[in-house]
Amino acid sequence: MTSILLNALQYLGYILIFPGFLFCFVCGMLLCGIDRKLVARMQKRVGPPILQPFYDFFKLCGKETIIPDAASRTTFLAAPLVGLAALVVIQLFVPIHGFSAFYGMADVIVILYLLLIPALASILGAAASGSPYAGIGLSREMVTIISCELPLVLILLAIAKTVGNALGTGLCFSLSAIADYQLVHGSLITKARMIPAAIAMLLVIPGETGNHPFDAAEAETEICEGMLAEYSGGPLAVFKLSHAVKMLTLTSLFVALFLGGVGTGITAVDGVVVFILCVIVTAVSISFVHAVTARLKIEQIFKYYWTVVSGLALVSLVLAWYGL
Amino acid sequence: MFKKLIEESTAKSPWLFHINSGSCNGCDIELVAILTPRYDVERLGFKLAGSPRQADIVVVTGPITKQSLPRVLRSISQVPEPRCIVTMGSCPQSGNVFKGSYSVAGPLSKYVHVDVDIAGCAPKPEAIIDGLALATQILKEKRGQM
Repeated sequence: MTSILLNALQYLGYILIFPGFLFCFVCGMLLCGIDRKLVARMQKRVGPPILQPFYDFFKLCGKETIIPDAASRTTFLAAPLVGLAALVVIQLFVPIHGFSAFYGMADVIVILYLLLIPALASILGAAASGSPYAGIGLSREMVTIISCELPLVLILLAIAKTVGNALGTGLCFSLSAIADYQLVHGSLITKARMIPAAIAMLLVIPGETGNHPFDAAEAETEICEGMLAEYSGGPLAVFKLSHAVKMLTLTSLFVALFLGGVGTGITAVDGVVVFILCVIVTAVSISFVHAVTARLKIEQIFKYYWTVVSGLALVSLVLAWYGL
Repeated sequence: MFKKLIEESTAKSPWLFHINSGSCNGCDIELVAILTPRYDVERLGFKLAGSPRQADIVVVTGPITKQSLPRVLRSISQVPEPRCIVTMGSCPQSGNVFKGSYSVAGPLSKYVHVDVDIAGCAPKPEAIIDGLALATQILKEKRGQM
C-alpha cells in the first residue's frame, strides 16, 4: 500500500517538478531569454535581461483578458493549456542521459504525434477567436507543419535504422534504446553518416518552434501576430510559455537523439549538462539563424523544407540503410 | 508577494502598439530608431507588439485626421487594462502645422485621457525614451491600483 503511494508520489514529482512542469517553466524561459540576449549581441545591441521572458509572463498574467464576442469561449481559453500540457508530456519521455521519467514507455513515433498537438492547439485557438488575421495565420501554420513533418520523419527513420542495424532489430524507434546505444557507441553525431541528418534537424527546430525565418504564421508586422491576434492576458502568457517550452523540448530532443552519451550518470548533474547542451543547440539553430536572416514567404518555407532539408535527411537515410 | 511580482514585471516589460493617425512618417521613423543598436530600448524590455490586444502602451503619432479618428479610438479601446496612452510629436497634442485644417479632428486629448505627451517635430530619440520610461512608471501605478 505504502509502496503504491510512494510510487504515485514519485510520479507526481516527475510530472510537476523534474522533468515536468516546473523544470520546463524555468529552463524554457531561461532558454528563451538567453536566445533573445544572444540575438541582441549578434546584432550589436545590449539586449534585454536574461530574465525578460519571466517579466513578460508575469506581466501578461496581470493584464485584463479580453474574449472577443465572435469567439467560441471554451475552445479559445482551453487551447493554450492543451498545447502546454502536450509539451510537458514530451519532456517526460525525452531521456536525460540515461534517466527518463517514464522509462521505455514511449518511442519517437509518440513524440512525433505529441509534437503536433501544440501546433494543432494553437490552430484551434486561432480558429475559435474569429479573427481574419488569425485565419491567415492558421492557414500558414498548417503549411509550416506539413513542411517540417517530412524532414523530421526522414531524420527519425535514419536514426532508427542506424540504431536498429547495430542492435540487429531492423528499425528501432525506442527512445530508451537510442539513449542506451549512444551510451555504448558514443553520440550519433560522431558518425559521419548522421551528420547530414543532424544538420537537417538543426534546420527543422526553428521551423517547428515558429522562429525566424520560418515565422510567417506569426508575422507581427504584416498580419498582426497572426494566430495570436485576439489573445491577451493569461491565455497569451500560456502561449508565450508554450513557445519557450517548445524550444526546450526540441533542443533537448536533439540532444537526446544526436548528443546522447554525454554525462556522468548523476541525474542532477546530467540535467545541467543537458541544459548547457540545449543552450548551445539553441545558439546555433535558433539565435544565429534569427540574427542573419529575414522572414521567408510561406511558399519559400515549404519549398526549402521539402527540397534542401528533406534532401539532407534523405542522404543520411540512404547511407544508414546500406550501412555505410 | 505575487501582486508585487506582477507590478514589478509590468514596469519591466512594456509592449508598444504604434498607431499612425495621418502622420508625415517622421515620428514613425524616429520610433523605430529607438529599437536600433544605438538606442536599443529592448534592454528596458520594450517590444513592438503587432496587435493592440497584446500592448501596454499605445503610441499615437499624427494630427488625428477625421478619417483616422474612429479607427484610433477603436484600436485604443481594444487594449487591455492597465494601459497607457502616449502621444508622440507635436501633431496629436496641438495639430502642429496642420492646425485649423478642415480634415483634422485633433487634438487627441479631446477624445481620450492622454498619460504622456512627447513634444517635438520629430522628438529626439532620447526624449522618446524618457517619455516612454515615464509611461512605464504610470503603468506600474495603474497596475497597483487594479
